[in-house]
Amino acid sequence: MIEVKNLVKRYGNHTAVDDLSFTVEKGQVLGFLGPNGAGKSTTMNIITGYISATEGTVTVNGLDVFEEPEEVKKMIGYLPEFPPLYTDMTVREYLDFVADIKRVKKSEKGQMISEIMDATKITQMADRLIKHLSKGFKQRVGLAQAIMGYPELIILDEPTVGLDPKQINEIRDLIRELSKNHTIILSSHIMQEVSAVCDIVMIIDKGKLVISDKPENLSEHLGATGEISISVKGDSESVIAALKKIDRVTKVEERTRTIEGIVELTLNFGEKDDIREEVFYAMCDIKAPILEMQTMKMSLEDIFLKVTNHTGEVIQLDYSTDMEKNKSEDAEGVNTDAGDL
Amino acid sequence: MLAIYKKELRSYFTSMIGYVFIAFFLVIVGIGFLFTNVFGKIANFEYSLSSISFIVVLLTPLLTMRLMAEENKQKTDQLLLTSPLGAGSIVVGKLLAVITIFGVGMAITCIYPLILSKYGTVQFGAAYASILGFLMLGAAYLSMGLYISSLTENQVVAAVISFIVFLFTVVMDSLGSAIPTDNVTAIIMFTVILVVVCVVLYLMMHNATIAVAVGLVVETALMVVYIIKPTMFDGSVAALFGWLSVLSRYNQFSYGIMDITGLIYYLSIIVLFAFLTTQVIRKKRWS
Repeated sequence: MIEVKNLVKRYGNHTAVDDLSFTVEKGQVLGFLGPNGAGKSTTMNIITGYISATEGTVTVNGLDVFEEPEEVKKMIGYLPEFPPLYTDMTVREYLDFVADIKRVKKSEKGQMISEIMDATKITQMADRLIKHLSKGFKQRVGLAQAIMGYPELIILDEPTVGLDPKQINEIRDLIRELSKNHTIILSSHIMQEVSAVCDIVMIIDKGKLVISDKPENLSEHLGATGEISISVKGDSESVIAALKKIDRVTKVEERTRTIEGIVELTLNFGEKDDIREEVFYAMCDIKAPILEMQTMKMSLEDIFLKVTNHTGEVIQLDYSTDMEKNKSEDAEGVNTDAGDL
Repeated sequence: MLAIYKKELRSYFTSMIGYVFIAFFLVIVGIGFLFTNVFGKIANFEYSLSSISFIVVLLTPLLTMRLMAEENKQKTDQLLLTSPLGAGSIVVGKLLAVITIFGVGMAITCIYPLILSKYGTVQFGAAYASILGFLMLGAAYLSMGLYISSLTENQVVAAVISFIVFLFTVVMDSLGSAIPTDNVTAIIMFTVILVVVCVVLYLMMHNATIAVAVGLVVETALMVVYIIKPTMFDGSVAALFGWLSVLSRYNQFSYGIMDITGLIYYLSIIVLFAFLTTQVIRKKRWS
């Protein structure tokens, strides 16, 4: 549906977006993730035709944003970083105006406005002046504006900024709901948010694409810490001794004991290894039943920090080969804590 | 376009500027009417209008200052520019809205000739031609104001710059007649103007080569004309300044003349600055 090719945007000597390419299929939810100033908003502004690219092309449904801006703009609803609100209008007046400029048919307009106000839960504020609304409500009015006319493609720049946790959940639900019929691109600097609603996550930093994958795969690939957390019923000394016998274990550390008779340990081993089987048999040998065992994964937040670290080094990952392997691992039901996010 | 027009019109009346403008305008016209027609016992309404024509310069910046500047500041231009509206319909919608506000004031002044006709002989043709001329004069300034407003995101800056520029268009006429009319002065004046144009060109395009090239080509042309036929420069500076003097064009109307060239002149200014405004909006994409 959207194809971005070799996008470059320079401001004088500063390169805001540096050779970015990606595609989004119809119905997908793409999450842009990156620290502040990574080029997320710039990329979105280029896709919506607000600013032009220095190099590269953006096509939406086969139409070039640069060649046919008006046609493309009809297909896009956009919530910019600062919601573009006319503060001296009431919510209803504003949405009515937006419906007009987005060429919503007169016959459908009233119905659509009340539907959208319901969906974004701003109906009770319909006749208030926008300048009197709280930040959260302003954000929702901005969101309502982006949905107006039900465009095929909805682009949301940090849609949940300024909202309280309950509102964030509501907006996420709304985005999930919308994703059934729309293609959505959203940006955030909050990992959790992106992983909660997106099919694909793109992490960009300093205008460059760092990595792009499904959120669960990201955790799988980059999250390996080479750590296992284990609870064993038995005597701590013999358990530790047995575990240390396993070749690849580099460190065994006992955590604070909470329940008498149960040893809780953290094992360190070489990254990308799986030693759970060995641990199982080692414990079998000393007849100490394992009550709990979990491979430790980095949270997506940590991964985000890891890939956007500012040492300037580029993290190289050979993805093409790993992808297949990963799928089979998934099938075996590898225990990850990505689901907690 | 209609959506923008309605929105702008509404915002003039929700923010009071519309009422304040119309009220103030009518007060001034009323004072002009009182002194010229009532105290002077003259039935020519066109004299009243010409006596207060300078207030266009004072009042129009009030109307135009927020037109584009506020959009730029509140980032609502992002909504307009990412909607299927073209830059043209945004500008035309806004311009028509602000001309409508001015037109409401002018429409009310249409009553004055009727009042006068009760007490004397009124030449309605002359009176209403002057009202039409005044409307066009106002519209020309509004178009210029809209353009200036699009260049900044600060309303006050827009108002101040508009005011200064408008003031220049008023004094142009007397300035032009004060400058010596000989050919050498003319060529110096044109060179100075050319340098200014080239500097502006450079600032807009960030391309020294083009600016210098344009400067050299035009300067050479000027020199060639000067050497071959110096008489072409006779009175040219005064003519140029006169051409830039937006307000003095209105004099013809105040004599009761339906000046078609004047109307075309104002129409060209309106179209020119509306066009320049669309270019400013389009250029934003490239900054």
